[in-house]
Amino acid sequence: MGHFIDAFKAFASVAKSFLRPPTTVQFPDVIRPRAERYRASFALLHEENGDEACIGCLQCERICPSKVISIKGPAKRDSPITGKKRSYADDFTLDLTACIFCELCVQVCPTDAIVMTREQETPSYSREELVLTMTKLYANEKNKTRAWGDGTKLMEMQAIPKPPVPLSPTGERAGGEGKAAVPAPAPGPAAPAPAAAAAAPEAKADSPLTPTLSPAGEREKLP
Amino acid sequence: MTQKPSHRVDPHLVIEKYDPEAELMLMHFGPQHPSTHGVFRMDLFLDGEIIVKAVPHCGYLHRAVEKLCEKLAYVQITPIVDKNDYVAPMTNEQSLVMIFEAMLKLEVPRRARWIRTIFAELQRIASHLLWLGTFSLDLGGALGGGTTVFMYCFRERELILDLFEEVTGARFHYNTHTIGGNRHDLPKGWSQKVLAAMDTIAQRIPEYEAMTTQNRIFQQRTRGVGVLDGELALELGITGPILRASGIDHDLRRDAPFHAYDEVKVNVKTAEGGDCLARAEVRVEEMKESVRLVREMVGAVPEGPINSGKPVKLPVQTKIPVGQTYVGIETPRGELGGWLVADGTQFPYRLKIRPPSLHAVSALPYLLPGQTVSDAIAILGSLDPIMGEVDR
Repeated sequence: MGHFIDAFKAFASVAKSFLRPPTTVQFPDVIRPRAERYRASFALLHEENGDEACIGCLQCERICPSKVISIKGPAKRDSPITGKKRSYADDFTLDLTACIFCELCVQVCPTDAIVMTREQETPSYSREELVLTMTKLYANEKNKTRAWGDGTKLMEMQAIPKPPVPLSPTGERAGGEGKAAVPAPAPGPAAPAPAAAAAAPEAKADSPLTPTLSPAGEREKLP
Repeated sequence: MTQKPSHRVDPHLVIEKYDPEAELMLMHFGPQHPSTHGVFRMDLFLDGEIIVKAVPHCGYLHRAVEKLCEKLAYVQITPIVDKNDYVAPMTNEQSLVMIFEAMLKLEVPRRARWIRTIFAELQRIASHLLWLGTFSLDLGGALGGGTTVFMYCFRERELILDLFEEVTGARFHYNTHTIGGNRHDLPKGWSQKVLAAMDTIAQRIPEYEAMTTQNRIFQQRTRGVGVLDGELALELGITGPILRASGIDHDLRRDAPFHAYDEVKVNVKTAEGGDCLARAEVRVEEMKESVRLVREMVGAVPEGPINSGKPVKLPVQTKIPVGQTYVGIETPRGELGGWLVADGTQFPYRLKIRPPSLHAVSALPYLLPGQTVSDAIAILGSLDPIMGEVDR
């Protein structure tokens, strides 16, 4: 008898789900909106004046954990737009078949040249199509929707608000948050010490945070 | 050390000495069997339908992650270890970056620690939901089993993956932690979405209970199956929900608080019995506790920076001085730790990962003898091993 009661209770749960609206969508017809920060594929951007933003500094190639980026360059050339001499990447290849979408290349880019796109549909019929050459990457700028992140935004998100510095033009911004930048001491994971909030001001002087703070003038460049 | 209980089975039974009259059958369980949760193989020696000896074989998913880590700079390792425990990648990253932070003596900002705590608890809910679904799928047949609970659990897990997607941009391999803090800050309005998702999940956990742990059919299938006594669990180094289901009250979140667990109260759920039902009950209770923790914490995330320093641009900029350390944290499966030997360069000299699933799998030779083959699937499912983590 008890089995029947439990079975009815389980059926009641199923009936509740039966009456709920479906959570799935018919994929090719309906595409669920992706998050703003979604990372799917890559694009290389142009500057506002139409020049290529990539300067071929090789930072993304160096930080890539799976070594999928290969860049030829940097080469100094005259810009076709401004006529000034600047460095370019001669060739830029990103192998999407081995990419792990970690976003580190976007984070380190100093000129915000490489960004991720948030189209979900990356599959293709051949492996060659997944090797993003420079032409494809620049075409993705127009063909695909950009994800939120670029180098400046990601760096700014992780930046520490500057501690109050006298004579600094941004002093009023850093004034309130400068104190918040010094965190309460983290408990040691192996041997946890009780968090002593009173120790925070003393730890400020020789804190490991101090040498890594952004140099003066770094903040002004950011919007 | 106390004497071994006499009722404990001998995992190293010599088959020739068992019973010369019995015609034992050797059955290869896996590696393609769908209920092995990946690629796991066992040699089962069967007397009729009763298992006499079980020999687990690991290594089918070995990808040399630890060796790969020796060739990568510290900042590049975080996205790699996401792939170890592919059901709870968030806690993998956290355990890894915490080793580096301990070596560099970096203070993680309070806001980052709170975000990490919320991520860990959300990941625990998602991981246990996936476990409950696949465990019900393994049992099958009865009303509580089959694909019904599986689909329901995946439906609720999607809510959490959507939340992660909104913060980190990825549904699974997040790479949202970095040495010294987090890479992504919470977007505006995220906490309201978390609360809404938690309401949905809190409302639906009782429905799962009605279909699984409180269902008499489910209970009869799992009660008394695969009993693991707490002493053996401690000997084998088993941690997490399996240990707590054997009556040992041990949880690193409370006993050695990391992240922001020292600022909140964690109620550790234990159960007596040590059988499959106890393990299921502990995990369902942990889900409720995680929902409570997330609800409590998500509205009170402190303001401040999320990273203790400027992120590095070049891999050579992060160098860890000579030394070694071990850091372990509580993940959905137990204590996931890492032992790092650093030689002063930007590459680790040795990085040993201690996965909780490996120790869980090591209990199988003790649990399986005397049970039937159909119970072997229930026992393996209740241990919740993730093969990517076992083999690395």
